[in-house]
Amino acid sequence: MRYSALAEGAKRAPPVMCVAACELFGGDRFAAFPTACALEMVHTASLIHDDLPCMDDDPSRRGQPSNHTIYGVDMAILAGDALFPLAFRHIVSNTPTSLVPETRLLRVIAEIARAVGSTGMAAGQFLDLEGGPNSIEFVQEKKFGEMGECSAVCGGFLAGAEDDDIERLRKYGRAVGVLYQVVDDLLEAKTRSDKDEKNKKRKGQSYVAFYGVEKAMEVAEDLRAKAKKELDGFQQYGEKVLPLYSFVDYAADRTFSNGD
Amino acid sequence: TQPLNLSLPTFEFKEYMLMKAKQVNEALEEAVPLRNPIKIHEAMRYSLLAGGKRVRPVLCIASCELVGGEESLAMPTACALEMIHTMSLIHDDLPCMDDDDLRRGKPTNHKVFGEDTAILAGDALLSLAFEHVAAKTMNVSADRVLRAIAELGSAVGSEGLVAGQIVDLTSEGKDVSLSDLEYIHVHKTAKLLEAAVVCGAIMGGGDVSEIEKVRKYARCIGLLFQVVDDILDVTKSSKELGKTAGKDLVSDKATYPKLMGLENAKKFAGELVDQAILELAYFDAQKAAPLYHLAGYIASRQN
Repeated sequence: MRYSALAEGAKRAPPVMCVAACELFGGDRFAAFPTACALEMVHTASLIHDDLPCMDDDPSRRGQPSNHTIYGVDMAILAGDALFPLAFRHIVSNTPTSLVPETRLLRVIAEIARAVGSTGMAAGQFLDLEGGPNSIEFVQEKKFGEMGECSAVCGGFLAGAEDDDIERLRKYGRAVGVLYQVVDDLLEAKTRSDKDEKNKKRKGQSYVAFYGVEKAMEVAEDLRAKAKKELDGFQQYGEKVLPLYSFVDYAADRTFSNGD
Repeated sequence: TQPLNLSLPTFEFKEYMLMKAKQVNEALEEAVPLRNPIKIHEAMRYSLLAGGKRVRPVLCIASCELVGGEESLAMPTACALEMIHTMSLIHDDLPCMDDDDLRRGKPTNHKVFGEDTAILAGDALLSLAFEHVAAKTMNVSADRVLRAIAELGSAVGSEGLVAGQIVDLTSEGKDVSLSDLEYIHVHKTAKLLEAAVVCGAIMGGGDVSEIEKVRKYARCIGLLFQVVDDILDVTKSSKELGKTAGKDLVSDKATYPKLMGLENAKKFAGELVDQAILELAYFDAQKAAPLYHLAGYIASRQN
């Protein structure tokens, strides 16, 4: 559990987005930390299971060998199984109820559970493995957009945001989540040599493999614009919205500025 | 040996179990509709709705009613317990774990749907359990719902189910002491049964001392459950059990009959029933009847 959750290569995008969204509406960042950690736990659990030999069969993750490579398939499954419930328990046990009313925590828990569940990330992973007639957009939105959406929305819930603001966070988070992945795929395409191509075991689809580099870059630009458009709805919050903007540019510019 | 309280002649336990199981099954059916993607929901429903005695949900509801709550307060949690239990069975049966082909009289989940889908179906049932409690529990204060979620979380995680499974896996083929064996069972089986009873009392509005009393009851029947399971494994056939019998002996796993002998294991089971029933003495006898009988039922079940 610690090996994967505390991996140095983890970018902590879901937790940081959650904290930033919470602060946008005047929420206390300490109110968001337990949920932020929980998001990282469920995210890590999903990655551990996605990497398994019978799934994407990825030998490395976050710059180190994937969990099952080190601990074996059985322990990797169990580590994931333990991280999911720990996440929910962590929120309940560590969120100061002086800062967050209990009804909000119930919404946060339901949201995270929905996002990782059979109509969210698990659905995305399932459809990705199955192949079949589902569009790559749908699969990627489920597999990668859900985590971004859920992270942003949970921050909003914790701060008591209104329904229409929550809707904006949903669309924003979803766009950023997919953007991250498209850019990852672009980066991978840039650095991959022919030799790597032969060793490539990952079964999952990517935008780049599907549409080619040029179209994938267009998709990335569209997603960047879409995410920013949602943030325009938060103008009244002034510069508090800047962290959420920088998320979009950070996600997008990793590939356009450098090729490493 | 039926150590049941004879002052409760009017309680029809068999009918009670059937009625409650039917209500739980209906609630489960509704909780996991067949939606897109179809196959993953089929896999979830295949194992979740495969029958089973619904012992955990019934314990949860019985405990809720014991402290004066209505069944509906505990039903989402009761369903969640069955989802979690089912998920742990799906993952335990995987080739890299216990590698079982048969469960509840049917081919195991991964045999039918493949390993990848079986893992995802388990993951989805686990998260749905928490979503269901958080989103579907009505007329219970948020702080109680959160307490139940924390209780569930500790029963399944690395201090509960997963801890038991890890020690179980790593002790195969080794000499296992009675205390190791107890650790495995307390974590693999007893903690979830405890959570069932305790969550029921929380949702039903029980006070601190009531919750502690039912917790002690639950600890006894948790261990009892496994002792009986071990006894059945050496005394019954696969057909009677609906799962592969004698597997514990083949894979050289520690069991109570192996460590203390069959007769002593049976005696130990009897002592645990007595202890469980003793913990219920504090409550109104009429209201406690289902839990009295559940202890006896767990002791005398045949599969």
